[in-house]
This record gives sequence, structure tokens and C-alpha cells, in this order.
Amino acid sequence: MSAVNSKDSQPMNINGIAIDDTFAEAFGMSATGIIITADTMKWARQAAITMTGFGTSVIGCGAECGIDYEVPAEETPDGRPGVRVLVFGFAPESIEGQLKNRVGQCVLTSPGSACFNGLEAERRIPLSSGPRFFGDGWQTARKLGDRRFWRVPVMDGEFIIEDTTGVTTDAVGGGNLLVIGRDRPGVLRTCEAAIEAMNDVRDVIMPFPGGIVRSGSKVGSKYKGAVASTNDAFCPTLRGATNSQLGPEDRAVLEIVIDGLTSESVAEAMKVGLKAVLETGPENQVTRVSAGNYGGNLGQHHYHLKDCLP
Amino acid sequence: MSALKLQLTISPTGRLNLSGITPAKLAGLSATEVSRLHIEAGPEKLSLGECFKVEGAGTDTLIIEGATPRCDFIGAENEDGTIIVEGDVGFYAGRQMRGGRLEIRGNAGAFLASSLADGLIVVNGSVGDNLGAPLRGERDGMSGGIVVVKGQIGNSAGARMRRGTIVASGKIGSAAGERMMGGTVWSASGFGTDAGVQMRRGTLIAPSVDQMRPTFVDCGLHELGILNITNRYLREKLGDLAPSPITGSVRRFAGDMASIGRGEILLTAS
Repeated sequence: MSAVNSKDSQPMNINGIAIDDTFAEAFGMSATGIIITADTMKWARQAAITMTGFGTSVIGCGAECGIDYEVPAEETPDGRPGVRVLVFGFAPESIEGQLKNRVGQCVLTSPGSACFNGLEAERRIPLSSGPRFFGDGWQTARKLGDRRFWRVPVMDGEFIIEDTTGVTTDAVGGGNLLVIGRDRPGVLRTCEAAIEAMNDVRDVIMPFPGGIVRSGSKVGSKYKGAVASTNDAFCPTLRGATNSQLGPEDRAVLEIVIDGLTSESVAEAMKVGLKAVLETGPENQVTRVSAGNYGGNLGQHHYHLKDCLP
Repeated sequence: MSALKLQLTISPTGRLNLSGITPAKLAGLSATEVSRLHIEAGPEKLSLGECFKVEGAGTDTLIIEGATPRCDFIGAENEDGTIIVEGDVGFYAGRQMRGGRLEIRGNAGAFLASSLADGLIVVNGSVGDNLGAPLRGERDGMSGGIVVVKGQIGNSAGARMRRGTIVASGKIGSAAGERMMGGTVWSASGFGTDAGVQMRRGTLIAPSVDQMRPTFVDCGLHELGILNITNRYLREKLGDLAPSPITGSVRRFAGDMASIGRGEILLTAS
């Protein structure tokens, strides 16, 4: 990797990729974590994938959800392979409702699954409220130390779910990277490489499909009732018709959105992602990296790309 | 700081009530001050110094040497710290403990851990009847904590228990878990007759029951995830004192159907 310009010069350019002197603007959120276990990692992941579906944007989905990491069997409460899932929302109360529905419909139903607290935090929210009543009175509780576990009889044995899980109000949602290039498949390959690298960062999720979003949005719309609409400044087919921010050769823009339990974890994920983009971008005709913000007045957290450089 | 040591110097003819003699209550006291504290000895009151040789000063550890089965209420209402007892103890040891650790390097009498709320009690020998049970007129037995017994346990262990865990290497007598409302009683050697009589909720675990009550219904062989969680919890809490983990299937008997039937007896050797 070779830096053509220094971090302070305009524009920065590394490996032939321009890096905008801008920042990602992110917001304070609430978040919780749960650990889903099953007989095999395949089924733990299946339950987690099902539960985190339709969890891309808190505005339209009620919560932003994703898989954080796979938990080895020796680290889970029941000694089986597990997956840690993170759920982000506006407030603990909204997460509580999302957990009730998502665990009830997607984890309880998944063969051999169990569900446990996945975030050590002082503040707690109910995890079993809802799913345990599926037991129709046959459910029983076992308290071990400070933790209470519910046993709900189901057709393949018992569904075990912990009574509560931790919740934090110090989470951050909306860290992001915009990857711009001349070749749409190449931009996608670059983003895939970035996501693969970012998956190794703990306490973060990239909630969009495969971690990547193609429909970046701006605030507001010409249509009444729509709170967001297409980010026309980054739509390549509108280059000549709108106040475009794309170069003449740019044909595609993909965005990676990051939610994290802490601001530090979001910053770390952006660094790892940006490094992967700069390493794999040149061979994939990536020309530029930018970030989305709202002028800096809305979000409490600003992640400047120049501070995220490797 | 070294432990406070109490060495019994008399052969008590009556009962010695040692309730309140706990690390938390003795903390910061000198040996002289500890010697002046009074305990009940039958109908009269004696100073600790009349019964025990006192060495050291109050710390988070209390060692009682030369205890006999006439020493009652050892560790009762303990909240923190460690009490180590060399010898046998009488009734009500660890009653209503709310934390800390009580280690009895001998046998214990009836009503050990009566209405235990939290903490750990370890008995190297055997224990009498009514382990964890409430006294007459009281509603609940154990509501938390762990009791580990390396020997045998008498009758009615875990009576009216709500939460907590009792683990025994030896056999537990009749009516284990009677009127139990929660928690776990686990024997590595089996239960006597009438196990779980009138239990509402809770779990009894053993390789065998001398005679299963007819009000417990066979629900078949199962691999229960809650046992994995229990194994792990006890290993973390007890280390080498933890019972051998249960692996594979157990036979589940639900009961007592003469009550609400939400309890269970799990037979590990089926």
C-alpha cells in the first residue's frame, strides 16, 4: 500500500483510491446481545439468521439486527455451539418488544435451540417474556445463582431461555463507508472483502444484506410521509440530472453500515473495513471512498475517514 | 491478617448456641473483646472466653476447633466471610445464612442450612434430618445457596425448598424434597422412599429411588439441556467439589401429581 498524499493533504489518495476528507455521522442507540445455541453450529446459525432477518434499519424494521460472532461450545451456558446476536433499537423498551417477537417466532421455533443473555450490563430487559408462556403452564424455572432459566416443553424436548438479558444505552448506530468505483461487480467484491475483515471485529454488526447496502438514503422525500428517499447525489444513472457527487467514470456505489455496542468498536470496524477496501480496491476498479453524514449536526458520533486510515 | 480462632475448652453438658458468632459480627474485635461476648448455654449465658480459647482478632475468616454435636447454630445468619469448623456440629448450622462460606470438617446435625438464603455450606461428613428445611411455623425452606455434603443425608432434605442446590455424594434418606417448590436436590447415591412427596416444583436427581411414589409419572428418557447448564454452573461455583457431570439421557418422572405436578425426579442410571 502506498500513500501518494499525506493524511492532511487534499484529497488523500492511497493505492490509487481517493479518500474523501469527510466523516461518517452516527447516532446513539440502545442495544442488547443474546446467545443462541443449538446441537450444531449449523442450527445455531440458522436460528440466528432467521431471527435477524428483516432487521436492516430501525426505521422500517423496528430494530437493526445481526450476527456478531460464533461462540465456541466451551463458552456457552449449555456447552453447545452458539452464535451471538446483537439487536439495536431506539430505546430499551423498543428492543424488548422486538426480542419478544423475534425470539418467539424465530428462535423458539428452531430445532434444538436455546437462548441466553449475551450482554453483561447493569440494566436488564426481559428475554423470556412471551416465549415462556408458549409453555401453557407447563413451563418451569430454574434459578442458578443470579440467573433464572425457563424450560418450555416443545415437540423436540425443551426450549431453554434465560429470563433476562443485558441492555446498553451507550451503543452507536450508523457508522458507514461509501465505496465508489468504475465496475459494479468489482465494487461488490471489494465490499465483500471488507465485510469479511470486519466480521472479525467484536461487538459490531453490519445489519444490511450481507453487510452491504445498495440503496443509500438521504433524509426526507418529495412524497408526504416518506422519511427517507434515494441518495440521488450518489446514484450513477442520475449523474447528469442531479447535483451528483460522482465522477464521470463512476458506475456504482455501495455502502457498509456499522452498528456497535460502543463507539470504540464502531471506529475499529471502520478502520478494518477501510484497510480492506484500500487493499482490494485497486484490482476491482474502486476509485474512491467516502462516508455519509448530515452535516454533523444530527449525530453525536463522527468518524473521520482520515482517522480511520491504516 | 490471620484468622480468628476459637478452640473449645469445655465439655458442654447442655447446648451451646453460637448464633451470631460470624466473621462479619466479629470483624475488628480484639481477642479480649471477642472473649467478652456472651452466648446462650442452655438456660444461662456464658462468655465466649469461658467456653473457648480465643486467638487472633476478628477478620473475614473464623476457625472453630474442637466443636461437638452440642454446638448449635454455628454460622447461623452468616453474611460474608468464611467459617471453618474442625469437628462435628449440632443442630441448625448455617441456618438462614445469607452469604459467605461455612465449611464443616465433620458431621452436622439436623436442620443444617435451615432456610438458607445464599452462600455455600460444605460438610465433609454426613448430615442429619431436615437439611434446608424451615422450622415449624415457617413457610419456606432454602431460598438459595449451595450445600455440598460428602457423606449421607437424613430424611426430609430440601423440605419446602424454593431455590438453591443440595448436592450429596452419599444417599439421601426418605422424603427428600418433600413439599418442595423449586431448587435442586442431587444425590450421587440415590434417594430413600417417598422422594418428592407433595412436591410442587423443583428437581430431584439421583441414580435411584428406593420406591417411586405412584403419584410420579414416567415421562421417558430424555437428554435435558438444563442439566448441561446445571453441570456448568456447579463446576464454576464448586470446582473440585462439583458432582460428576450428568451426560446422556435421564429418565424423567413428573410429579407429585397429588399436588400440581410441576416437579420432577430425574433418574440418571436408567
